[in-house]
Amino acid sequence: MPDPSTTLDALRRRDDAALRRVVEANTRKLYRAARGMGHSNEEADDLVQEVFLTFMSSLDRFEGRSAVSTWLYGILLRKVQERRREATRERTHDPIDEAWEANFTADGMWLRKPVDAESALTASQIGEAIRGCMDGLPAPARDVFVLRQIEGLSAEEVRNILHLTITHIGVLLHRARLRMRACLDGKGWRTS
Amino acid sequence: MMKCREVSTLVSTGDVETAPLGRRMRVWLHIAMCRHCRRFRRQLEQLRQRARAAADEAAAAMPADLPERVLRQLPRE
Repeated sequence: MPDPSTTLDALRRRDDAALRRVVEANTRKLYRAARGMGHSNEEADDLVQEVFLTFMSSLDRFEGRSAVSTWLYGILLRKVQERRREATRERTHDPIDEAWEANFTADGMWLRKPVDAESALTASQIGEAIRGCMDGLPAPARDVFVLRQIEGLSAEEVRNILHLTITHIGVLLHRARLRMRACLDGKGWRTS
Repeated sequence: MMKCREVSTLVSTGDVETAPLGRRMRVWLHIAMCRHCRRFRRQLEQLRQRARAAADEAAAAMPADLPERVLRQLPRE
C-alpha cells in the first residue's frame, strides 16, 4: 500500500499513475453512493465527474488528515446538497420518534415484539423494495444511512463529511433505520 | 437491568459502539437475555446487508468506461 504522504505529493504533482489509482479505487464507490442518495444513472455519472474535477481544484487545500476517499465523499455530499432544490434544515422533531415510542410499554418493554424478518419476496424484489423505501427517506437521514450502512463509514468519518455531531448522526441513522423498517414491513418484509 | 427501549435505541443509533465499557457490557448482557432485542438487532443487520446488496445492484449500471472518461477530463496543470 502506498505511503499516504507520497501519494499526496504525487497527486499534487498531477502524477498520472497516482491519479489513476485514486480514480479507479473510488469511481464505483462514488457512483454507488450517488445512486443511493437518489440520483439517476446519468446524474450519478455527472456527479462522479464533477467530484473529481473539484477534487483536482481543491488538492492544494487537502492536507491529508482524512483518507482521500473521505475527502471525495465530502465533495460528493456538497454536490448532492447543491442539487437539492430545498435546503434541508436540521429537524429537531420527527413523527417517526412517536411511532418508535409506540413500540414500547410505559416500562420500556417491547409492546410490538420484533420477529425474525420473513419474506416471500425474491432477492431482486427486496432490492427493489429497499430502493423504493430509501426514496422515501428525508435527505439528511438518507445521506447518513448511505454513508454509514452502505459505504461502511464510521460515525467519526461521517461527522467529518457532514459536519454534524456524533449524536445527531446517531439520531439520523436511527430514524432512517426505523423508517426503512416500517416501509419494508408494508412491502412484505415482516418485522413485528 | 436496562430496558428494551434503551437498549434497542442505543443499538439503532450506533451509540453502543462508542459507549463506555460498562454501559456496553450492560447492553450486551441484556441482548444475551432478551430474544426480542436480539431479533431487533438481527433485523438491523439484515437491513444493512440487503441495502448494501441493493446499492451494489444499482451501481452495476455504472458505465465501464466512466473511470477512463474521468481520467481524460482531469486537468494536469
